[in-house]
Amino acid sequence: MEHAIGRVSEIRLGSGGHLEACISCPDGAIPAPGQYLLAYDLNDPDVVLSSLLFAVEKADQGFWATALLPTKWEPGAMHNLVGPFGRGFDLPHNIQRLGLVVLGETVSRLIPLVHLITQTHAGVTLFTDLSLPMLPVALEVYPLASLKDSLDWPDFMALDVPLEMLPEMRATFGLSDSAVLPCPAQVLVTAHMPCAGMAKCGACAVPARRGWKLVCEDGPVFDLKMLKW
Amino acid sequence: MAKNDLIFDPPVMNVAGCLGFTPDVHGSMDWSELGAYVTNPISLTPRTPAHGKRYTAYPGGFVLHTGYPNPGFTQVLHRYARHWSRSPLPVIVHLLGRNAEEVAKMARRLENVEGVSGLEVSVVRDASADTVVAFTQAASGELPVITQLPMERSIELASEAIQAGALAVSLAPPRGIYPVPGGESIRGRLYGPSILPMALRVVHELSQLGIPTIGAGGVYSQEQKNAMLAAGALAVQLDGVLWLGAGYNLLA
Repeated sequence: MEHAIGRVSEIRLGSGGHLEACISCPDGAIPAPGQYLLAYDLNDPDVVLSSLLFAVEKADQGFWATALLPTKWEPGAMHNLVGPFGRGFDLPHNIQRLGLVVLGETVSRLIPLVHLITQTHAGVTLFTDLSLPMLPVALEVYPLASLKDSLDWPDFMALDVPLEMLPEMRATFGLSDSAVLPCPAQVLVTAHMPCAGMAKCGACAVPARRGWKLVCEDGPVFDLKMLKW
Repeated sequence: MAKNDLIFDPPVMNVAGCLGFTPDVHGSMDWSELGAYVTNPISLTPRTPAHGKRYTAYPGGFVLHTGYPNPGFTQVLHRYARHWSRSPLPVIVHLLGRNAEEVAKMARRLENVEGVSGLEVSVVRDASADTVVAFTQAASGELPVITQLPMERSIELASEAIQAGALAVSLAPPRGIYPVPGGESIRGRLYGPSILPMALRVVHELSQLGIPTIGAGGVYSQEQKNAMLAAGALAVQLDGVLWLGAGYNLLA
């Protein structure tokens, strides 16, 4: 775990319609795809808890960040950064067809995978019901309703799912209670993580095949087969 | 820390539930800034996380409802006791009993565990004075005991705890309800700077009554910590500020 100071150098409207901030910081502070970073504005006297940041893409001297909750970004603001934390995505090298599924409020957290996978000339398809003002050109987008008929296309899937929507996933995939996905999948579970693993407080506990796991410590990216969903 | 010794140097520690089950000596915390370490609440049998919504923020604080998940007393000892013996600071084990018998069972076992310097025992928020006495007496033995009382009722219950053998009382986070989108609400423990005025009043009144008090609730700065000590607290427990990552530096 590293501590660093980051400066908000630029703000933009991200692909999901949320604000994203370019944060200038040392390379060591940049989270890998799926990992998260704690950040708070050093000049905000009303800070109560840190924001959770995920990387969208690398920038010249830092990275573009998306926050789990809407964040009041101020250009020039100095942020205390702690991390990166957690287990990120670990994609196999031989993926030919990557399916991305977003049930959450933004596709931004999966965008780094698009940049990674398109370098290998593999195909990427995104399933989401979000309205998307801006996306990488390499990405085909379909509504979630088409997912049921497309499950045999990807040879690997990456998902972004809020903790409270895990019980809805089977219906989204059109799967019965006992059925499994036809390909391996990893899921980025998004949840409030107030202690970020410092306390094992349980606020982000997710049901697992054996007991429960903490999103902050054991995730936020899990092999889907590890979870109870 | 001896049996009748509750001197914390510096007079700062964490609230139970804010820094896990053992000090993370490889993490970011500068442990020399704390005078003691309090474990997460530990129950005799395992507890699973609470169902439903567990967290929401509001201006000035946040509500947390976790159920204090823990693997149970035996597993906690198995996983963490060896770390307590190597802790860089005194370890106070927080006991979460359903009844006095459970508290006594855990307390007696801990008296033979190396590295445990004291016990903090909590009671439910609607506990009677008899329950406070029973839990405190059950914990009392070879180790110093702190009785954690519901902040809202601590003035009413503190004398019983001290007379039953507690060397001090500490303050559990107050509880509240906050609406969340969808028309529902979340009930749970309250944290954050908005708690501080209430906590300071309680510490001040307990001090006036001559009750040794470990203050807690919403301390987010050095000035606020000093205010709590000035109100009469013999030490201060920190909560949410510790989760700011390097946030503890706010106090340094």
